[in-house]
Amino acid sequence: MIVKLKNITGYLMVMPYLIHFSIFIAFPILFSLFLMFHRWNIISPMEFVGLKNFYRLLHDYYFWRSIVNTLVFLVIHVPLQIMTALFFAELLNQKIHLRGFFRAAFFLPVVVSGVVVTMLWEQLYGFDTGLLNRILVNLGLDKIGWLISPQMAMPSIAIMATWKNVGLYIILFLVGLQSVPAHYYEAADLEGASHWQKFRYITLPSINPTIFMVVILSTIGGFSLFIEPYIMTSGGPLNSTLSAVLYIYKQGFFYYHMGYAATLGFFFAMLILLVVFLQKRFIERDTGR
Amino acid sequence: MIPQILFLNISLSLFLAFVSCEKTNNIKNQKILYWSANNPDEIIFAKKAVNEWNDLHPSSMINYQPVPEGRSSEEIILAAVVGKTTPDIYSNMWQGDVEFYARGKVLIPLDTLPDFMEFIRTRCDSATLAEVTSSDGHIYQIPWKINPIMMLYNVNIFNDLNFTTPPSNYSDFIEAASRFKEDMNGDGYIDRWIGYSEVLAVWYQRFFDFYPLYLAASHGAPLVKDNKIVFNNTLAVEVFRFLQNLYSNDYFPRERLSARSDPFLLSFIATRFAGPWEIAHAEKFKPAGFTYDFYSLPVPDDHQGDIYTYGDPKNIVLFSTCSRPWEAWEFLKFVISKQNDLQFMEITHQIPRRKNLFNDEFFSDYFARNPRMIPFAKQAEFVRGTDVCPVLKEIFDILAQEYEACVVFGIKTPEEAISDAAAAAQLLLD
Amino acid sequence: MLKKLVIHVFLIFGGLLFVYPFFWMVSASLAPENELSQLTFIPSIISGQSYRQVIEKIPIIRAFLNSLFVSLSITTGVLIFGSMVGYALSRMQFRGRQLVFYVIIFTMTLPFQITLIPQYILMVKFAWVDTFLSLIVPYLMNAFAIIMFRQYFMSIPQDLIDAARMDGCNELQILYRILWPNSVPALITVGIITFMASWNEVLWPLIVIRNETLMTMPQVVTLFAVGGRAESQLGAKLASATMLAIPIVLAYVFFQRYFIQSMTTTGMKE
Repeated sequence: MIVKLKNITGYLMVMPYLIHFSIFIAFPILFSLFLMFHRWNIISPMEFVGLKNFYRLLHDYYFWRSIVNTLVFLVIHVPLQIMTALFFAELLNQKIHLRGFFRAAFFLPVVVSGVVVTMLWEQLYGFDTGLLNRILVNLGLDKIGWLISPQMAMPSIAIMATWKNVGLYIILFLVGLQSVPAHYYEAADLEGASHWQKFRYITLPSINPTIFMVVILSTIGGFSLFIEPYIMTSGGPLNSTLSAVLYIYKQGFFYYHMGYAATLGFFFAMLILLVVFLQKRFIERDTGR
Repeated sequence: MIPQILFLNISLSLFLAFVSCEKTNNIKNQKILYWSANNPDEIIFAKKAVNEWNDLHPSSMINYQPVPEGRSSEEIILAAVVGKTTPDIYSNMWQGDVEFYARGKVLIPLDTLPDFMEFIRTRCDSATLAEVTSSDGHIYQIPWKINPIMMLYNVNIFNDLNFTTPPSNYSDFIEAASRFKEDMNGDGYIDRWIGYSEVLAVWYQRFFDFYPLYLAASHGAPLVKDNKIVFNNTLAVEVFRFLQNLYSNDYFPRERLSARSDPFLLSFIATRFAGPWEIAHAEKFKPAGFTYDFYSLPVPDDHQGDIYTYGDPKNIVLFSTCSRPWEAWEFLKFVISKQNDLQFMEITHQIPRRKNLFNDEFFSDYFARNPRMIPFAKQAEFVRGTDVCPVLKEIFDILAQEYEACVVFGIKTPEEAISDAAAAAQLLLD
Repeated sequence: MLKKLVIHVFLIFGGLLFVYPFFWMVSASLAPENELSQLTFIPSIISGQSYRQVIEKIPIIRAFLNSLFVSLSITTGVLIFGSMVGYALSRMQFRGRQLVFYVIIFTMTLPFQITLIPQYILMVKFAWVDTFLSLIVPYLMNAFAIIMFRQYFMSIPQDLIDAARMDGCNELQILYRILWPNSVPALITVGIITFMASWNEVLWPLIVIRNETLMTMPQVVTLFAVGGRAESQLGAKLASATMLAIPIVLAYVFFQRYFIQSMTTTGMKE
């Protein structure tokens, strides 16, 4: 009798979640699968078009371009983030004053809105009067076309994204570094281990989970890039900063191609899952887990 | 225990069910609802017109509201159409959007109203009427106002460059550009240019460079006609070539100057392709001694005859949710009458799309007192809007992409760019 | 000794790297218009003109209040529902409990790109577009919060709960009177992360809110940045960005420890 009542309570308590899930997650996924086979601009009736949307997607220059752009972003962002975070974490791991103060400083960009960071960096990256170029000119160097060169635009966004997020990983790496007992290093020194060996066998395992996290979260972040290209470049120059979400947004909310936008959304989602899955496999295999 | 949880769950479900029911149509407000653009001057004009009408016609009063604030009024209108909360009358509809809504059957065909065609012919010439006729032969919009794009220029700079009149053709313009271009602070980079246009490959930016110049060069030729692309011609190529020239010689900057303070008023650029709205802005922010004026757009060297431009036309539409369109039309005849067109110019300094505006005695006093508007009034005879096409935005997006590749970055020849654009656009229409 | 000096130099350089740009931004927003192109450090006079322009042109105060309302509502909802479901999953037996747990994990891995368009269409069908409902309701349940609470509750001693039951408390009372007071770290973590995430969210408001009186603060600032309303007044744009940054930065300055802790515990749990 009491067990039965307990059962019901459990159900009732998760019921709100299940209702919410059905309405806001399950139904949209199913509807998306339905919408992919139609053409619809919201004010006119839906039109069944079979596989036309898929055909279009396969031949869509912008779809493939956005994937390439995301890869460019990740190739620069991920290594930069790991190296920078590790560097500062190592520094913070030493016996220093005001560790808390530095920690707070590094973490500041993480909490601030992406909109603020983007608007700020838009000024830093300005070609003619931007802060960065003025510094370069004062140093006697050439100006860089940060946001106006098709080769530099996405890397510039990658650098900005690193600046924004690295604080979190500095802290996480620091935790990993601090969890290694000092006598491990001392023992290694006694055995005559080189710097690289110490790093490879002592440090690396303790920060591996964090590296793993950087890679996965950055990948997901790269495919979710929206507000930065939206404000700074509108996807240009020459479509070099067109991101997946920006393209979906354009198709869905500029042109009201709801069916095609849903198709794009579906395929990008599948792509993300595939990439993350492969990364997990690769990293887990690599660390012998 | 159970009652509390049950209660929580039931109320949550009821709440969700309640709010998810489609809103039934509210009892229609008896008055006709009119939305205008929400810039301050137009609001003043609309309020005045509505109040006057209501005083004279207490039995068919109009309820007025500026269109709700949003990122763009186009988006607000779409949201209203989708949510079925449209007003009866809307007076800020961009001409390029009308075909999309007409095909969605949310607008009333105005030519079916008894005295519409008769009245409208007194106001608009046949070219304008042809322009606003939809693909099914009906007319869904009243041509209301335009803001012609012309060449805004800095008078003092051109005097210094030894130009008695501003450059009127491409060669003169390029000549002026080469004289004006300079690296003022000696850092090895040009920081003074003859002009500027947004380099962003966004579809609406081309309404301020390529499209007006194309209309100027081609005597107002369309881009799309009868579902066929017709811009694949030498004039479009020449326009692209002219613009490409400007960028490759550093006469126009590749950088986004809009991210910093107004470069025209600070004399970093000498010209700008813009409309009458610049007047208010310039008067507000110009430095002492700054003199500016407007001139027609530059055209190819061998151009003869009138110079057209893009008018950024905004028109009046009636939504199909309107239950008494004939009443609304009576009010609109009042709004677009000569008296109110004059009021409109006085208050908002925008140009009504009326034939013979400059030569009509009725308005001559206004132009005597507002000489800055004269170039636009003269230009008003030679203005084009947009072609009838439900995918206009996408066609301009295609043009913007080719523009970026050819004009701004020079990686395609103008011939290639125009023909690629035409091919891609034709695919859209098929 | 030298080593220590070098380390500190790098750290100071690093600290400046992450803080100076903000300082520049505030500086530029307080500078008079004509100095902006020359500015690198401190303006000659402090001018509030840019801020006045922002307040005149966009309803930023209103947007701030909207953001506050929306974020508080979402955070409250997530805390209430998240802890409720977390409790059920950690401490109650019922058939299908594992299944629900897997469903929740599944939603955490689901990329939002697939639900973006259909969720918008749903908002249109419910007529929630341009209402606060569209901003709040879809975010009331948060898988991450549920998992966090579940994890935390699993570590609370069963005797505490049994004792309460014997005193005749019902399940909800147990949740709020026993579990909540004993899970303050989890509450703070979930609360801060949810509040921060909902405050900074801008894509969804851009999609479902068109009416300016309902826009959130980041949304209004974004539109100010890309639209023409700023009239090319750079100082005004930077002033609006500064105004957007201030609330979170203030919260950060006072609760900095909790912010950092929250995000790093989340990170480690991943």
